[in-house]
Amino acid sequence: MSTEPSAVQATDQQARRSAGRGGAPGRPSYVAVAAQMVGADVLKLRKKLGIMIWSSVLALGPLVIFFIVRAAQHASNAAKYPPAGGMSGFHDSIRLLALFFGPLAAILIGVEAGAGDVAAGVFRDLVATGRSRLALFASRVPAALLIALLITTISYALLAICTYALASGSATPDATLMLNGYGFSVLATLVVATVAVGFGALSASRPAALTVLIGWQLVASPILAAVSSLGSARKPLLSEAIANFSPIAVGGAHGGSVAMSEGTALAVLALWLVVFTALGAWRTRTMDA
Amino acid sequence: MTPMSQQPPIEQGAAGAPRALAIETRALTKRFGERTAINGVDLRVPAGSAFGFLGPNGAGKTTMIRMLLGLTQADSGTMALLGRPLPAQRAAALAQVGAIVEEPRFHPQLSGEENLRIIAAARGAQVRARIGGALERVGLAARGDEKVKRYSLGMRQRLGVARCLLADPKLLILDEPTNGLDPGGIQEFRQMIRAMVEEEGRTVFLSSHLLDEVEKICDAAAIVDRGRVVAQGPIAELAAGASRQELIIGVDDQALALRALQASALVADVRSEEGALRVALSGDPSCAAALNAELVRAGVGVMRLEPVRQSLEQRFLEVVSGLRAPEQGGAHEVRAAEGLQRCEDGGAGR
Repeated sequence: MSTEPSAVQATDQQARRSAGRGGAPGRPSYVAVAAQMVGADVLKLRKKLGIMIWSSVLALGPLVIFFIVRAAQHASNAAKYPPAGGMSGFHDSIRLLALFFGPLAAILIGVEAGAGDVAAGVFRDLVATGRSRLALFASRVPAALLIALLITTISYALLAICTYALASGSATPDATLMLNGYGFSVLATLVVATVAVGFGALSASRPAALTVLIGWQLVASPILAAVSSLGSARKPLLSEAIANFSPIAVGGAHGGSVAMSEGTALAVLALWLVVFTALGAWRTRTMDA
Repeated sequence: MTPMSQQPPIEQGAAGAPRALAIETRALTKRFGERTAINGVDLRVPAGSAFGFLGPNGAGKTTMIRMLLGLTQADSGTMALLGRPLPAQRAAALAQVGAIVEEPRFHPQLSGEENLRIIAAARGAQVRARIGGALERVGLAARGDEKVKRYSLGMRQRLGVARCLLADPKLLILDEPTNGLDPGGIQEFRQMIRAMVEEEGRTVFLSSHLLDEVEKICDAAAIVDRGRVVAQGPIAELAAGASRQELIIGVDDQALALRALQASALVADVRSEEGALRVALSGDPSCAAALNAELVRAGVGVMRLEPVRQSLEQRFLEVVSGLRAPEQGGAHEVRAAEGLQRCEDGGAGR
């Protein structure tokens, strides 16, 4: 350790110059600060190799396996098995990505963003900077969405390539359907990622948040959706509301089995987003750091 | 909590000159259920000094620091950092404060430099430019791009100090900062703290259970036990304030001197030790002159009269153990006060 004071103080002049770039000298731009904070949260997520690898595996792996198996089946018996790509492959693969594995990847990313600082023990150091706790929470959401968007986009690109490359002369989706499919995948992933950030912050425990959210999304929701006697009481299910925006028919175990208007579906999505971001923000603001 | 005055608090310095307070708390209290962790603490930390916050494990040191930093809420009382009341002006106050709370923690998957970028982002747009200087200051410039999971505990402590320096802080709050440092690192750390105080005018609030560390680094200290500040002031005054003031007295006739001392109201205790007498005074050290006069009047030839130097450790153990045995400690304090009064009356308590 150096006892010389110059090392830190010498950089202060440079620091003040940097501050001036964002606005008036000595008054740093809030936009610049917000951008830095989101960038810092993106840095934490993208350097978390376990999360990046597993969320990529979850989003991409099933698609790769799906197309390989379907291609092999089609190659072995073209009369019995349809082509891996084309409309049929597009329908099945988009269900895999948007309603099943994409949201799973989003849960991993969102929970890490929401609970990662507490788990690593650095939340108290962030609070001790004097920065508002709400600002600390708010910067996690766009960071998680950016990472989830990146992984969804890469996965959807693979889906699109395989849909056309493995069509074997069958009908393929037009550009509008492909765009709608992308929008649907992004919507599904980003809504779940946002909910996961809020729930991760609320629980302040990665294992607990992952268990509850995955259990809800993979087990509880499909079971509840399948219980027809519940009738319209199933409308608040997140997966059902998301499935309502699918450009293709997605009825079945993983959403789309409960009929509701677009307005109702939008209201359900908004409710989930508002409730869980509010709960996450409240917990971040009030918890002992 | 009632709001504290927004006027910067002022304290009289040693020369009577007004001196601002870096930390001020009044009747600060924190409870965890039935247990009171901090109990009506009044703390006054002068700006531009190194201040030790001493106490045994579980005394409430870390809870106090957590309240000052807004990591947990106080149940009652008021507090201010650098003249700014908390929590009303928390953001403005903490913008000038750097802190290490307990063991420094980092994102292990990030490098040292990246971890500092995370904090710099929260501190403001201009702070990032200080990262290089902060790493250099703590001797980690060459290893700043290494992942923190490969750092030793000592390196993490250094990185924790670098994280504090990002704020260019007027006040550093350090909780057990030398944990994990090797002897060389501890020595460098002490020098760095002194340089921060003496050359840069920063205030350092250092919580520790290591008496030696506080005595060597700090100008003043507070002793906390069971959530209460039981003593505070400059280190020398704290140590000298030990209620058990002792003298070593060399005499020509030990038996005669022993009888005279045992009869004296100025003496709390006397015993023979290595050819001399070790005398515990019931008053302050100024009683030594009166005691000398008593011995001379009793016909004892006094060849040596030497005060026993009090250490912070003695004072600490006395205060803390005094609280643990309130009846004994309380009796001791009363007796000391009585002795002081007798001295002020000219040693004429007989």
